[in-house]
Amino acid sequence: MKSRLNVIDNSGAIVAECIKVLKNAKWAEVGDEIVVSVKKARPISDKTSGSMSAAKIRKGDVRRALIVRTKKEVRRPDGRYVRFDDNACVLLNNQQQPLGSRILGLVSAELRFKNWVKVVSLAPRVV
Amino acid sequence: RLEICSFSGYKIYPSRGRTFIRGDSRTFHFLNSKTESLFRQAKNPRKIAWTVVFRKMHRKGISEEVAKKRTRRAVKYNRAIVGTSWEAINARRNEKTEVRSAARAEAVKKAKEQRKNEAAKRKAERAKNPTADQKYSKQQARGASTKVHATSR
Repeated sequence: MKSRLNVIDNSGAIVAECIKVLKNAKWAEVGDEIVVSVKKARPISDKTSGSMSAAKIRKGDVRRALIVRTKKEVRRPDGRYVRFDDNACVLLNNQQQPLGSRILGLVSAELRFKNWVKVVSLAPRVV
Repeated sequence: RLEICSFSGYKIYPSRGRTFIRGDSRTFHFLNSKTESLFRQAKNPRKIAWTVVFRKMHRKGISEEVAKKRTRRAVKYNRAIVGTSWEAINARRNEKTEVRSAARAEAVKKAKEQRKNEAAKRKAERAKNPTADQKYSKQQARGASTKVHATSR
């Protein structure tokens, strides 16, 4: 069983499991892209399907995601270490655009350094 | 940026300590692993004797400074003196400068007049009694001492 992350956008997925790290490293950090398999998703009803974006996320979908929060602390340039309470991600499409239209909760400020501008602008709070 | 430890209240200089952001988006700064560990054990900083929170609550250290400052001030009392009553003192104090200078001028005038009168009086007396004011030395007033004559040889 691989690392599970909370999905904090409104794409419909709730829990995703990391199956691949998309960089030449053993682990991914905040601001890294990963491939996930959706483990839990919100039930899709036919009523809401029209208002949502074209992408319907179902359980078992394999998608790309961006890590936005980690329980493992991250080092900031001023020497501080910042740690969150959970692991969280945001689903992306293959062109690195966020799938959801809204993000719920905090994201880490590392995203700004790694040039995820769109995600940062969607986030209600960046710490 | 200078942070304050969320548990102990100490200052956290940059490149020290850790920051923890909880699920409800509350941020906690920790000075070191000691404070972090205590926080994770859900200890109440108000019960941990060395934290700033505890010291403030039990008024340690701070009250001494405050007490010192207070004792330095001498309390001023308004007291009456034996010779004059309190109202008299107050009246004198609250006299306006004009009133005071006017009173002084009057007093000076009076004194001058008195002196003039007295001088006039003396002159008149001198005119009457030319000898009355003669000055005698003390010896003259006593009189010459009688010579002691020898009674035996």
